[in-house]
Amino acid sequence: MLSGILNSLAALMPAAEAGGDLLHPPKGAMLMLAVPVLTLVGVLACTICAVARVRTKLPAWISVACLAGAFGCVLATFLGYEGPRHAVGFEWIHLQWGGETPRGGGQVPIRALHANFGLYVDTLTLLWMLFVTGLATLIALYASEYMAGDVRTAGYSRFFVAFNLFVFSMSCLVMADNLLLLYLGWEGVGLCSYLLIGYFYKKPSAVAAAKKAFIVNRIGDLGLALGIMLIFVKFGTVEYATLLADSKFQGFLAAATAGDFASIPWDIQLIPALLMIGAFGKSAQFPLYVWLPDAMEGPTPVSALIHAATMVTAGVFLIARTFWVFQVSEYALPIVAWIGAITALLAATIGMAQFDIKRIMAYSTVSQLGYMFAGLGVMTSVGAAFHVFTHAFFKALLFLACGAVMHGFAGQLDLRKLSGVQKMPGWRIVGVTMLVGCLNLAGFPLLAGFWSKDMILAQAFAEPGYSAVGWVLLLTAGLTAYYTFRVYFRVFVGPQHFEPGDEVHGHDDAHGHGDHGHAHAEPAHDGHGHGDHAGHAHGSGGGQHGFHPHPPGWAINLVLVVLAIGAFAIIPLNFIGEHAGHGGWAADMVHHSTAGPLPAGAGHAAEGHGGGHAEHGTFLGMDPHKVMYYVSGVVGIVGIGIAFVLHLAGRTEAARSRADGLLPALGPIPGWAQHKWYVDEFYDFLIRTPLWVAAHLFHLVDKLIVDGLVNLFGFIPRALGKAIRPSQSGVLHGYALAMAGGVAFLLLIVLMAAL
Amino acid sequence: MKGGRVGSILIALDRARARRVGQPGQRLTPLINQVALYVLLALGAVGVCVALPRKGVNPQPIGALLAAGAGGLVMLLLGLAGPEHLPNIYFYVFGAIALGGALRVITHPKPVYAALYFILTILASAGLFVLLAAEFMAFALVIVYAGAILITYLFVIMLATQSPTEEEADRLEDYDAVAREPVAATASGFVLLGVLTTMLFGGVKTLPAGAAGARPEAARDALLARMPGKVESVLRTEGVLKDGEFVDRGGSAVDAAAGTITITDAKGGTRVLPRDQWPERLSVRNIEGVGFDLLADHPGAIEIAGVILLMAMLGAVVLARKQVQLDEEAKARHAARLAGGLTDPASAGAGGAGA
Amino acid sequence: MMHLLAQANPPAPMHAVTLGHYLFVSAAMFAIGLIGFVSRRNLIIMFLCTELMFQAAGIALIAFSRFHLNHTGETFVIFVLTVAAAEAAMALALVVLLFRRRESLSGEEWASMKG
Repeated sequence: MLSGILNSLAALMPAAEAGGDLLHPPKGAMLMLAVPVLTLVGVLACTICAVARVRTKLPAWISVACLAGAFGCVLATFLGYEGPRHAVGFEWIHLQWGGETPRGGGQVPIRALHANFGLYVDTLTLLWMLFVTGLATLIALYASEYMAGDVRTAGYSRFFVAFNLFVFSMSCLVMADNLLLLYLGWEGVGLCSYLLIGYFYKKPSAVAAAKKAFIVNRIGDLGLALGIMLIFVKFGTVEYATLLADSKFQGFLAAATAGDFASIPWDIQLIPALLMIGAFGKSAQFPLYVWLPDAMEGPTPVSALIHAATMVTAGVFLIARTFWVFQVSEYALPIVAWIGAITALLAATIGMAQFDIKRIMAYSTVSQLGYMFAGLGVMTSVGAAFHVFTHAFFKALLFLACGAVMHGFAGQLDLRKLSGVQKMPGWRIVGVTMLVGCLNLAGFPLLAGFWSKDMILAQAFAEPGYSAVGWVLLLTAGLTAYYTFRVYFRVFVGPQHFEPGDEVHGHDDAHGHGDHGHAHAEPAHDGHGHGDHAGHAHGSGGGQHGFHPHPPGWAINLVLVVLAIGAFAIIPLNFIGEHAGHGGWAADMVHHSTAGPLPAGAGHAAEGHGGGHAEHGTFLGMDPHKVMYYVSGVVGIVGIGIAFVLHLAGRTEAARSRADGLLPALGPIPGWAQHKWYVDEFYDFLIRTPLWVAAHLFHLVDKLIVDGLVNLFGFIPRALGKAIRPSQSGVLHGYALAMAGGVAFLLLIVLMAAL
Repeated sequence: MKGGRVGSILIALDRARARRVGQPGQRLTPLINQVALYVLLALGAVGVCVALPRKGVNPQPIGALLAAGAGGLVMLLLGLAGPEHLPNIYFYVFGAIALGGALRVITHPKPVYAALYFILTILASAGLFVLLAAEFMAFALVIVYAGAILITYLFVIMLATQSPTEEEADRLEDYDAVAREPVAATASGFVLLGVLTTMLFGGVKTLPAGAAGARPEAARDALLARMPGKVESVLRTEGVLKDGEFVDRGGSAVDAAAGTITITDAKGGTRVLPRDQWPERLSVRNIEGVGFDLLADHPGAIEIAGVILLMAMLGAVVLARKQVQLDEEAKARHAARLAGGLTDPASAGAGGAGA
Repeated sequence: MMHLLAQANPPAPMHAVTLGHYLFVSAAMFAIGLIGFVSRRNLIIMFLCTELMFQAAGIALIAFSRFHLNHTGETFVIFVLTVAAAEAAMALALVVLLFRRRESLSGEEWASMKG
């Protein structure tokens, strides 16, 4: 192992010639390499903290520092960006085989699997790394306070170890110059996701959710692994650059561009399908989305960072990174589009019927990821990437706001038991930032979420043959607005009321007085007594006297404010650069990367917004790129309005709203939606039950036949022994008699034989 | 089937017998009719079985008589096998005593008497050894066995026996009074005996003439060549040597191959004494033969025997020095016996002696 | 009898007694010893019976020695005597130990190694 690493280091010099070596790196290579290195430093430092039993917030500050450093490196790289750059850390894997001469003659061709620990940085990478490291820094800061309850346990360090490891894996995934390193990062983020979902490992539901996430991801990862293997088998390389420059691949691409899919072998067309399965698993698309809502069992910062903002977009990144590969298949992208649309609608309908606000956010994430996939499917990788970018901000914001509520109300997440939180002392910032996030998610006109969602919608209508996808997405946009503001109107405004969650005792225990004092030393929270009073006045329904809502401290508020500002700050980015108004800066970033249009940009592969379509879809006879702003804006506002009417207007208590009156009219449908359309139960029935039956059947076979056979061989000597045992009386005479009789008998036989 | 098998055996034996010619030192006809032998063995088995000690009715004397009768008949048949096999009376006397003693060893309920009968057997065996011209072994047997080993046995019997109280002087321990599985034991023992005798009497050879010391002449002379001192002393005693004559002890005076003894006179002249002029007493005795065999031919053997004895002595010392506690069961029985002996000897007998 | 013992060179032909006679005595004695060993329950008598079997072997060996006109058989009997003596020493020491423990000489007392 160690010698392998040393060998790799020894081989570093010649291997690094593509991007220069470490001593004489190309410009910016050190900055790029510093990103994974800094996060690894964070991992090591936090591990040391865990081993050294540090029981302070030190791991959090180390993490924030490392991640901020990584963000700084990315930012510096971005500011000094001059074109795609390739930096090789060291030769990672080099396997060579073949070359021997078989008996039949001829020669087995030499094949080699070569992969560097190398980084390929283009604008797509930078776009992703900017929000990954930026959000990670902010969320680590948020977590430093959010996880304060565990600061006296080993869990605090453990949390930040996994947190840093996640960012490291994500940077490997995003910055990799080959598919193997991407796969390493892919598995790494899966592992960290597992570790962090199962952070509260004493909670059975958390453990179950962690296992579920891991197992469902395995299905997707299998697809990805097979896809990478197939790429290697077919093209003999796993590096993007070599793959894209491969003449065979160029030939297939040309055939695909010409629409001649029949000339592309089926196994080449299989590659994108396999990669797609990987993307579906990681990005929680139908039918592999079921793990994501359950993943909310993890701590909220984790939900925000991993399961809303960054990791789940890895699937989008994969497709964007290998966008050209997807184009050699006739069916891959349409499938992606339809799966995305179905997922978006399904998750939105489920989200409408949930009561757990974090879970609603989870379903909204699944739904928005569906948007992104639909965007990719309808050939607007720019729109998808733009939506990823904006979504990362406002979804992180939403989650962190929900987390603040959860943190303050002892784990209470039921929107029927919380109301009017914004008016409670110390909660104004949370309420306002939540409103910003909700407006973004709902696609309120002129906000960041509005622009990015609009791009996907418009392109869906513009791309011929996808208007049905467009209609589904439009409907989903309305539903999204409705359920988003359902949360806001129920929890943050309206009459004040709260019932603390069931973590009340643990919560109070976990919060040391020092921690409280720290939080309350902030002038903004001076009115704690006031809050106490309010809690008593309005929390009578809960009957939990003595519980004080716990307004967020400076770290949480700071992060929320920064993210809210960020959500606004990215709006202008839409109006700069050559794609102004159509993704702007982010679109430029994507456009100039491997996810951009084909160099041979024929009509098939061209970006929708750039015009030049041979045939152009329409929205009710109008140019979708012109009218979609208005249509989606109206749809969003209508959704918000419906939510207002049903959930805020005239509502006097927390648990009941006007919407309840409508439920009987809809029959059993809301119940179905609340039970997530029984998808989990369906999977249970389809997969788990047959497996269970088969397992019990095989158990019986094992028990009766296999074990039976083995036991039989054990039973024979035992029975024989039981039968013979009485002869072993232990009395000397018996043995002597047997011996004498035996000798006599033997001699008798000898005598008989002699005659 | 079985009868047919036995019949075929007998036929085969008869054929084998017919082939054998009655010459001394050669194969002879079987000594005893097979059927008679088996019948007698069966009778002997029944006798031994009956003679073994048992509870209640005690037909021991009948069994002993039966067994002794069967044995005697076998002996008689051996003697009647042919006129040329007319028995040496000493063999029959010693053999009968030895076997009778052995029978009593295993049938007598009291260990002391068994040991004494065993001494009788030893003595009779010593007699048989003398008949076989193994005088040294005969005396060694009496000294070692009867003198040492059996006395040790008697000591142990005395040590390891409850001192009898006056009223139950003849009380027998249960394990002495009743034999264990006498039928099976006798059956297996006599089947073994039957097989062995079938083989023995399938065809036998007479013993060659002369004692064990009376070897073939060359072998005897080879031994004599190793003891020129004895040769000179015998020749001098017999008057073969004249004054001044001697047998050269350093050289090879006795030539075993040529059968000559070279006698040297005082002047250094020699004369040769051929074998036919050797005195009769010039032979090798049993003890000399055993001595050469043991010390010259098998020198390591006696060392090994010594080591075995030393080890046995050490082992016995170690074992005997060990302090042993009565285990619980034996203590309880002991106490019960003492209590029973004081109050009710009959009930104590249930646990101890069966008689 | 005495002339047999005193003879320097016993010429007395013993052709009347065959090797088989002695071997029969030996075999019978062995069988008796065997029967005694198997059927008697007193440990001392059992050991006496083993001595009987040794003795039977001794008679056979001496007879063979005589038959072959050499002394090897007799030398072997010395071994038999040695082993018998050693066995007697050890066995009797054991018997004394066992008796002290159980106050009984029954061989059936010691059956704890049963299956």
